[in-house]
Amino acid sequence: MKVRDLQHALLPAACTDDRSRQQAVVAVRRFLNGNVRPRNVEVFETEGSPAFVERFGRQPQSPEEVRQAFLLSPSYRLWSAANRSAQEMIWVSVGEPIYRDLPRITAAASALSHAPERLGSLELDPGYEPSPEVADVDIHLQPGGYAMDRGEDDVVAGALYELGGNVFSFGQGIGRGDSKAAVVIRLLESDFGGFEPKRILDIGCSAGAASAAYAAHYPEAEVHAVDIGAGMLRYAHARAESLGVAVHYHQMDAASLKFDDDSFDLVVSHNLMHEIGEEKRRSMMKEARRVLRPGGIVVHQDVAIRGLPTLVHQVERDWDTHFNGEAHWNTYAMADLVADMKAAGFAAEDVQEHDLPAVHGKNRWYAISARKAA
Amino acid sequence: MSSTTDALHALLATARGERPKSLACAEAEEVLNIALALLVELAVAGDRIDRLERLVAELRGQPVDALRAITYDGDVAEERQAATDALIARALRIMVDPRAARAKGEAD
Repeated sequence: MKVRDLQHALLPAACTDDRSRQQAVVAVRRFLNGNVRPRNVEVFETEGSPAFVERFGRQPQSPEEVRQAFLLSPSYRLWSAANRSAQEMIWVSVGEPIYRDLPRITAAASALSHAPERLGSLELDPGYEPSPEVADVDIHLQPGGYAMDRGEDDVVAGALYELGGNVFSFGQGIGRGDSKAAVVIRLLESDFGGFEPKRILDIGCSAGAASAAYAAHYPEAEVHAVDIGAGMLRYAHARAESLGVAVHYHQMDAASLKFDDDSFDLVVSHNLMHEIGEEKRRSMMKEARRVLRPGGIVVHQDVAIRGLPTLVHQVERDWDTHFNGEAHWNTYAMADLVADMKAAGFAAEDVQEHDLPAVHGKNRWYAISARKAA
Repeated sequence: MSSTTDALHALLATARGERPKSLACAEAEEVLNIALALLVELAVAGDRIDRLERLVAELRGQPVDALRAITYDGDVAEERQAATDALIARALRIMVDPRAARAKGEAD
């Protein structure tokens, strides 16, 4: 199943100008990412570092000093200001049509979620307070953040995530036919002998693109997905129903899953590790293993920003922490995830890191996988 | 919500957090943001003109390249040039505004 550029009942009625605006923002981001950002390390050497030496009489040493030196470079500052602006324009370009068409979108979501012939389910927990390390931040500047809930039937967070995510991804050079779920499915086929899960859990499912894709690919499997945000989950559930796939959505914390031990064949997370802090990531990995059946497989997939060669490259990458609401970007990039998986209970020989090509486009994805001993 | 302006304000009302600046001058950064937003709007207008050109070419039974190859001489060309000159004067007004020059002289 395609996950991007997919037509379903919850997409806002966008006029031609809306589409032009989104394409223009994609083009601005593609220009900044493709033509300007690659020069940042070079301008650190030609502008930032000399300016730091002139001011302090020595080379920058620590990450904070390297960051300070970057900000002494006029070229870097101009890119940074433009990149922040382009990121904000993503949300304007998709938020305008969403809020304009919100009454229809909300009604469509409600009708799909309550239809007698619905295939999946939605379980919200009114007593749950979404984890503040995620809920209190406008991650990647999405207005209101992942856990925004404007009341009964609200689906704005999910709509923003899906549409904004597409504009972001295309501007990042990610192909329209790419799918993180498809990358994991291909990994299961190539490295795990065509593993066919019967019960699947997607942790941190956001707007439900991956969970719906798993349900479409494994029609015999029972697919469950969890997230912290009610607005995200209402949207994800209605989206899956509109696409005709059965997914059971639950509001719960990744670090405290309310599922039985040994109850899933496949546990996945997509782009979750970089959105949560160290402690929660470790708890999430332990929980993922706990709910996995012996012989089952866990795959945590995320962005390929790890393993950069120098401190200067690492600090350049860390722009997202300071300017894009990605509080845990660097924590994820520098983490020893193999050690975390071993601490979660997996045997060292069962843990593998993967550098995976996208199924469409030039992008690559990171993943860490493990099979639970039978 | 039928108004685009209302939709935009509803979106902006939900945004949280500090807005860190990159440039040394916050005012310059705001102007950069406005310029980039106008760049996007220029692309939107360009798309509209392109659509209209294609529709007109279709109505005329001509390829769109033929429509774009049309050039004007004489009065029409002069009128067009005058409009371009006026646009540039409006856009670059600050560079010729005597008040800006006086202020610069006082600062020097």
